[in-house]
Amino acid sequence: MQENYLAKWLNNELTEEELATFKKSAEYASYEKIAKASNKLKAPEFDQNKAWEQLKDKTKTNRASKVVVLNPFKNFLRVAAVIAILLTGSYFFLNSLDQTYESQLAQQTELVLPDNSEIVLNAASKVSFSEKKWDKKRAVALDGEAFFKVAKGKKFTVTTSSGKIAVLGTQFNVKNRDGLFTVSCFEGLVSVTYNSKEIKLPAGNSFTVINGNVSKGTAQRNGQPSWLNKESSFTSTPLEYVLAEFERQFNIKVETQNINTNKLFTGTFSNSDINLALKSISTPTQIRFKLGKEKVLFYDENTP
Amino acid sequence: MNNVCEEQQYSSIFSTHSKTVFNFIYYKFGNEEKAHDAVQEAFVKLWENCSKVTPDKAKSYLFTVANNLYLNVLKAEKVKLKYADRHTHTTTYESPEFVLEEKQFEDKLNNALNSLPENQRTTFLLNRIDGKKYAEIAEMEGVSVKAIEKRMHLALKYLREHIDGI
Repeated sequence: MQENYLAKWLNNELTEEELATFKKSAEYASYEKIAKASNKLKAPEFDQNKAWEQLKDKTKTNRASKVVVLNPFKNFLRVAAVIAILLTGSYFFLNSLDQTYESQLAQQTELVLPDNSEIVLNAASKVSFSEKKWDKKRAVALDGEAFFKVAKGKKFTVTTSSGKIAVLGTQFNVKNRDGLFTVSCFEGLVSVTYNSKEIKLPAGNSFTVINGNVSKGTAQRNGQPSWLNKESSFTSTPLEYVLAEFERQFNIKVETQNINTNKLFTGTFSNSDINLALKSISTPTQIRFKLGKEKVLFYDENTP
Repeated sequence: MNNVCEEQQYSSIFSTHSKTVFNFIYYKFGNEEKAHDAVQEAFVKLWENCSKVTPDKAKSYLFTVANNLYLNVLKAEKVKLKYADRHTHTTTYESPEFVLEEKQFEDKLNNALNSLPENQRTTFLLNRIDGKKYAEIAEMEGVSVKAIEKRMHLALKYLREHIDGI
């Protein structure tokens, strides 16, 4: 007899020979009886229509929420999440950025730092610093010219493209223009790092670098840079820097003709009265000038 | 897309398989109410996942879901099958003794079926009542045809041994 012959028998898969043998066996009658009786069994009633209606109710709510509510809401959440991430991201990014203050041409800007130190920006200058980290690190980056009145406290550093100035609490002026770098100390002690060399600058001294040539000069003790009083002062400064300052103070274009701009100039010009300023520059240098609407032309007296 | 999200496709799957799912669960656990619930839940699940199930996979999906739903819940409960009344239109010409004897035999058969191991009972009844082929039952249960034949064989043997007087 083959394996699982009872199952085969019910399925009419037995060979004739096997069937004959099986029919002769004692159990055959009982199996026949079981097969017959079980054939008459029935499963409980199942109302398919009722079940279908029930199911429709269930899937309908599902369907509606699937199409109308869930998806748009999911999309909305997706967009909202992206926006939220961008907002928080940019908030932290912007917060970590340094604050920057700028003064325009022919303009001065005053600002007070978180520790009540003061900075006055001369025309066309820019400082930036981190307000968030100010408590830990008093550091500003300067491009241009500015007067600093530093409140006593931790080390205060000014970084420029030419050199670094470090102080504890003092008043000083830093001028960092193309090719010209001057630090004047009016009070306290200033430490200037230029070309990785540190120079101590006591009150009443100034440190100037013109085109790489270092020179030392004086500054008025307990004084102020002249530009705070609307004047620009120069000591043995090449004319080119004087005229550049003139351009910044009056927001005007300066042109020169047959003039040696390396000539040294010592003097002061007014930052408020252009005619007076022109005279202050032209008289001692014996240079003539022509004042136009948007520009000034300086030319040699001897030129026709 | 060939999936069962299509209303017509879905309803035809329902009319083909819902009764079998019902019986399948009923034979396993002997609980009519739970069998009804199983049909609902299995088809709701099928609808929810309609985009992932292809029509030819729908059948085995339904049985797998239905089976999993009650696998743990009802295993412990005692099975008590009852069957629809078979004698509604009996105009027999048989002797009362014969009828009585037959009735007694049926009762014994019922008792033996109730105590039969679940997988053997399901196989046996799907074949006897629903006329399912072994191959079909094998697909529903997720086993080989040979395993179904074995279950069938053992079921018959068990029933014979447990029906007194034979």
